Amino acid sequence: MLRAESIFVRVATLLLFLLAVGLAAETRRVVVYAPKTNYQLDILVRDGVDYLGLTDLLEPLGHVESRLEDNKLKLSFNGGEAEFQDGKRQYRVRANARLDLAANFLLVNGRGYVPVVSVTQLLSRIAVQPAEFHDGSCRLFIGSTKISYSAELRHDPSRLVLSFPAPVKPSTLVEKGRVHLLFHREPVVSSGADKVSYGDSFLLSTSFAEIPGGAEFIATVQQPATVSIGDGGRTVIISPATQPPSAPGTVPAPTASPAAQPHSPVPRPRPFVILDAAHGGSETGSVFSPTLIEKEINLMLARQLQKELESRGISVVLTRVADNPLTGDQRAIAANTSHSSLYIAIHSSASGHGVRVYTSMVPALQPRQTRRSFLPWELAQSPHLDQSRIAASAIAAECAYRGLPVRSSAAPLRPLNNVTIAAVAVEVAPLGASADELAAPEFQQRIAATLATSIASLRGKLGAAQ
Amino acid sequence: MISRKLQYVIAALTVAIFVLCFYLVHLKRKAESMGDEPVPQAMTAPISGPAEEITLYVANDEDASLLPVSVSSAMPLDPGERGRIVIHTLITRYLRNDSPHPLGAGADVHDVYLLDPASAVVNLNAAFADSHRSGVEVEQLTVFSIVRTLKAQFPGLSRVRFLIEGKTRETLAGHIDISGWLDVAMVADASGELK
Ligand SMILES: [Zn+2]
Repeated sequence: MLRAESIFVRVATLLLFLLAVGLAAETRRVVVYAPKTNYQLDILVRDGVDYLGLTDLLEPLGHVESRLEDNKLKLSFNGGEAEFQDGKRQYRVRANARLDLAANFLLVNGRGYVPVVSVTQLLSRIAVQPAEFHDGSCRLFIGSTKISYSAELRHDPSRLVLSFPAPVKPSTLVEKGRVHLLFHREPVVSSGADKVSYGDSFLLSTSFAEIPGGAEFIATVQQPATVSIGDGGRTVIISPATQPPSAPGTVPAPTASPAAQPHSPVPRPRPFVILDAAHGGSETGSVFSPTLIEKEINLMLARQLQKELESRGISVVLTRVADNPLTGDQRAIAANTSHSSLYIAIHSSASGHGVRVYTSMVPALQPRQTRRSFLPWELAQSPHLDQSRIAASAIAAECAYRGLPVRSSAAPLRPLNNVTIAAVAVEVAPLGASADELAAPEFQQRIAATLATSIASLRGKLGAAQ
Repeated sequence: MISRKLQYVIAALTVAIFVLCFYLVHLKRKAESMGDEPVPQAMTAPISGPAEEITLYVANDEDASLLPVSVSSAMPLDPGERGRIVIHTLITRYLRNDSPHPLGAGADVHDVYLLDPASAVVNLNAAFADSHRSGVEVEQLTVFSIVRTLKAQFPGLSRVRFLIEGKTRETLAGHIDISGWLDVAMVADASGELK
């Protein structure tokens, strides 16, 4: 008995130790923001000094050639020369300028390593690029890549408006009394004062801090709050949840803990339609030519349609207003929480001509099921299929009336199955032989006007999301 | 002090734990790389038999139609092999220069498995999916054309599933969802709406 226990203790201790070693060995990284690219580099620790691989650092920035001679590494970068020696701090750049690293240069398996803290000096000399290293977040900014924001408290109703010079997409977490914005993708840095007191009835104070690999903005609030992102990601608004919060034409930013937001007693203004420009980011959709990509055409069409709808007094939200990727589930959740009555996904294609309208290929609701029955995610559209077909016929009818070739059918196409309002997808193809027509303003205007007229005819005919 | 015997036991146990961990990771990877349906082994079957009339549902991009075309082909007796030959014949037609619905070079079908008279799994090659044009309609025509051609061959068929090189894929080429079973009756209804 005792023997068995002792075996267990020893085995458990060994496994715990291995786990601890595994965790301790987790590599730290430096996030590099360069003018044309962002990348991450693993930190190598030697004698308590953090090092970065020299070629890994320079390769994404330009043309690097290196050669080893004994214990010397000769490097040429974009035409300039530098020479390092293993175990020596001094290095030579271009004509005989001699400089010192913060610690000895390292050669490991034929690869050169330089101390992280010397990287900025090195870049300014070798790459002739100003660079800045932020120790707290392990972020390296090369050139003028930093994004600093401005914060302004506006009144009636009280809301904090954060403006950014470039689009941002923070992860947001709303909890009682605090709103967190986490910037892990964009090089957001402090705008000066890191802690600001407002003493407003809504907003008490804000703070900004760099965290490993990114930055965090925290607003301390005295009322339930909500976050919305507008102007293509350039504006982030933190406002009381009981006030109309959205920047025009955007969906509320998805929060990490929706359950943490108290129920708001005053309803938000309800958009009638949510437009979803399909694809985005690395998921490009169809590539018609090097300069004509489906994801971009879809967004242009969605914007044009938004304009046409708004000119008819119909309120619209968009799932994306920039070139960012969204999963099918994210699109469905945006539709299902938008309180809209109609979801329209927009695709474009170089094949065939005119407009195709698709509804979900989900089985219709069985007689024994009711609208209130619990349905799996894959069948979420079932109770709304009739309404989706009404919408599809309205769109097809208007296209036919205006002389546009049109077809409608059911298709297994995400995220239609998962949407809990009337949902259709539209695929637009050129009328003539060339795909270039897809980007032509007259063509887009004609399609958008047709769709807008048919959508307007659906007002009062479709129910909203529950 | 711990006896030598006990040390052997500990060493053996530790090794066993590691071996099991690796095996578990291996099993998990294997499970992820396979679809959630078991893929039966291809059965040996006669390569050819007497010539028969078979029906292909041929897609046409110009009008998005899906029209039945009769062709004659030597057909084996094994159902899976019959399925593979009709789909291979269909794909060959799409690869011709005058194809009304072109597929990318090298597209082909590896196997068709009939799990039971109502369920078929079509295992296509990587070139089929990788070189497929991206678009809702073009992908829909391809998928519907295969499903309807199989239905014509196996009247009792009620569902079809696609694998690419034996693995489940989310979409054929960015649009049409091929991650699960497709209901043959719904495909027939929807392709009726097409034309
Ligand atoms: Zn698309």
